[in-house]
Amino acid sequence: MPLNMATKYIRKAYTNFTTHIYDVPPRMLAFLILVILAAVPFAGINLLKLDILTAANLMAILAVSWDLLVGRTGQISLGHAIFYAAGAYGTALLFKYFNWPIWVTIPLSLLCGVGMALIIGIPSLRMKGPYLALVTMAFPLAITGFLYYFRDIFGGETGIRNLPKVFPSLTFFNRLIANYYLSLALMTISSIIIYKIATSKTGIVFISILDDELGAKACGINVTKYKLMSFAISGLFGSLAGSAYAHLMVGSASPSYLDFSNSIIPIIATILGGIGTIYGPLVGTYIYYLMNRYVFQELLPLDQTTQILLFIIVVLLFVIKWPRGIGRAIVEKLEDLEEPREIEEIEKERAKKAEKS
Amino acid sequence: MLESIIIFGTISGLIYALIALGFTLVYGVSGMVNLTHGAFFVVGAYIYGVLLGFLSNYISPDFLYLTPVLALILSCVLTGIIGSVFYRLTLHQILGDEVGILIASICGCLVFQQLVYITMGNAPALGFNIPPLMPGITIIWQTRVLTGQILAAVISFLTFAILSLFIFKTKNGRAMKALSQDLEAAMLMGISVEKLYILTTAVSAGLACLSGVLYTSTVTGSVSTYMWLTSLAISFTVVLLGGLGSIKGTILGGLIFGYAESAVIATIPHAGVILQSFPFIVIILVLIIRPKGLFGKRVEME
Repeated sequence: MPLNMATKYIRKAYTNFTTHIYDVPPRMLAFLILVILAAVPFAGINLLKLDILTAANLMAILAVSWDLLVGRTGQISLGHAIFYAAGAYGTALLFKYFNWPIWVTIPLSLLCGVGMALIIGIPSLRMKGPYLALVTMAFPLAITGFLYYFRDIFGGETGIRNLPKVFPSLTFFNRLIANYYLSLALMTISSIIIYKIATSKTGIVFISILDDELGAKACGINVTKYKLMSFAISGLFGSLAGSAYAHLMVGSASPSYLDFSNSIIPIIATILGGIGTIYGPLVGTYIYYLMNRYVFQELLPLDQTTQILLFIIVVLLFVIKWPRGIGRAIVEKLEDLEEPREIEEIEKERAKKAEKS
Repeated sequence: MLESIIIFGTISGLIYALIALGFTLVYGVSGMVNLTHGAFFVVGAYIYGVLLGFLSNYISPDFLYLTPVLALILSCVLTGIIGSVFYRLTLHQILGDEVGILIASICGCLVFQQLVYITMGNAPALGFNIPPLMPGITIIWQTRVLTGQILAAVISFLTFAILSLFIFKTKNGRAMKALSQDLEAAMLMGISVEKLYILTTAVSAGLACLSGVLYTSTVTGSVSTYMWLTSLAISFTVVLLGGLGSIKGTILGGLIFGYAESAVIATIPHAGVILQSFPFIVIILVLIIRPKGLFGKRVEME
C-alpha cells in the first residue's frame, strides 16, 4: 500500500510539474536556473567564492521588494536600504538586550521592517513622484545621524557585533554551503510569494494605482490602504534580506547597511532585468553580481573605480536605450515560442467543431 | 548669540539658496527632477580648484588677485558646457519618464563621482582644498566673520538679481517662463524646446558650479567626491521649504533653513553629529506637516 500511495503522489507531482512548469517556457527556464544555482556548490568552484552568490541571493530579495513597490505600485523609493538596515538592527537589538535565539529575533525583525515601512509610508501618502523620491532618499541619511548620536544603544560606527551564526555547529566550509542553501531557499520562497501577491487581485489593484490613481479611487478602491500595504510588504521582505544578511554574512549590524550603495544596487538590478516584472530584478541581481565579480574584477585588469564607472555607464545605457530590461526580453522571446502551438491547437479544435456541425 | 545666529544664518542661507537655485530652475522650466545638479556642484568645485592652481603659474604677480575671479568664471562656463552636453546625451532622450529620469540622473551623479576619482588620483579621499575667496576677518555687529563668507553671500545675492533680470528682460528668459507656463502654447509660438532645455541645463550647471565653489570655499574648506549627496540634501530642503519651481520661494527657503541651522548650532550642545542629518530631518518634518512645501502648490516661475 505505501508504495502505491508513493507512486500516486509521484504521478500527481509529475502531472503538476508538467502542467504548471514544463509547459510554460519562462517558468521552465526559471526552474532550470534554480537547479543550476542549487548545483553550484558541487561544481568544483572555490567555496570561498560562494559568499558572492549568498550575498546575491539576499540582495535579490531586496531588489524584488523594490520592484513590487516601484514597478508595480509606482511609489518611487530611493532609500530602500532603510528596510535592509531595519531588519539587521531589529535582530541585533533583540539579541543584544534580550539574548533571544535566532528563530525568534528574525521573525520579530520583520515586524520591525513593517513598522519602518509604515513610518515612511504614512507621511509619504500625501506625496507623489519627485517629492516621494526625495523623502525616501532622505530617510536613511537622517537615521544615520541618529545611529551615531545614540551611541550607547546602536553602537556607533562599529554597530552591534558578534551576532550568533545560523549554523554554529558546522565546520567552516560546510557552514558556507549551508548558508548558501538557506539564502537560496529564502530567495526562492520570498520571490514566489511576491510574484503570487503581484499576480493576485491585490497586485492588480497595485497596478491600477500605478496607471491611474484617480481612476482607482473612482472605482471605490481604498488607495490609502493598498499603498500602505505595498509599503508594508516591501518593508517586510526588505528587512528579511537585511536580517538574513546580518546573521549569514557579516555577523554584525552597522550603519554601513544604510549606505547609498544598498539603495542603488536594487535599482540597478531592476533596471537591468526589467522594471515591474518581479522576475526582472532576480535576473538583474545575478547579472550584476556575476558581471561585477567575474567580468570586471577577474577578466579585465581594471581598478575598482573604473569597474564601478563602467557598470554605471552600462546601466545608464539601459535606462536610455533599453528601458524594458533583459529579463523581459528573454521572457517575451520564450512566450513567442509558446504561441504558435496554441494557435494550431485552437485551429484544430475549430476544425473538429466544424466537422461535427 | 542672537547676532551670530542672524549673521551666520543670513550668510549660509543665501549660499544654500544659491545651491538650490539651479535645481529649482530646471524643475520650473521643464518639470524634471534633475539630480545631476549635485554632480555639477562637485565637478565645478574641482575644476575651480584645478584652474586656480593652473592659472596662478601664468598670471603676473601684479594681477594675482584676479585669479579667483578668472577661475570662477572659467569653471562656471566649463561646467555649464559639460552639464548641457551630458543632458543632451542622456536625460533629453527620456523626457517624460519620471522614474527613468530619476534613475538616470542618479547614475549620472555616480559617473561623475567615479570620473573625478579617476582623474584626481588619491586626492578625493582626503578632500581637495579650496581656499577662501578673500583672506581676512571683518567684524560686524560684534561678531567676527570671515571676509570670504561675506563676499560669498554678496555674490549669491547678486546672482539672484542677475538671474531674475535674465528671466524677465531677455528673450530667452521670457521663453523659459513661457515654457514653464504652457509647454504646447510655447511650442506653437515658435520656441525651440530642445534648445531652451539645453540652455536651462547649462545655466543650472553653471549655477551649481558657482554654488559649489562658494560653499566649499566658505563652509567646508575642501571638496570631496561624496559631496553631491550633501548638495542634493541642501537643495531638497530649501526647495521643499520654499516650493519646487519658484525663485522667490527659493531665497525664502534658503534663509529659513540657514537661520534654523545656525540656531541649532548655537543652542544644542554636541550638534556636530546630528548636523549631517539636520537637512533630512527638516525635509521629513516639512513633508509631514505640509506635503507641498511651506508655500502651497507648485508656483510658476516668478
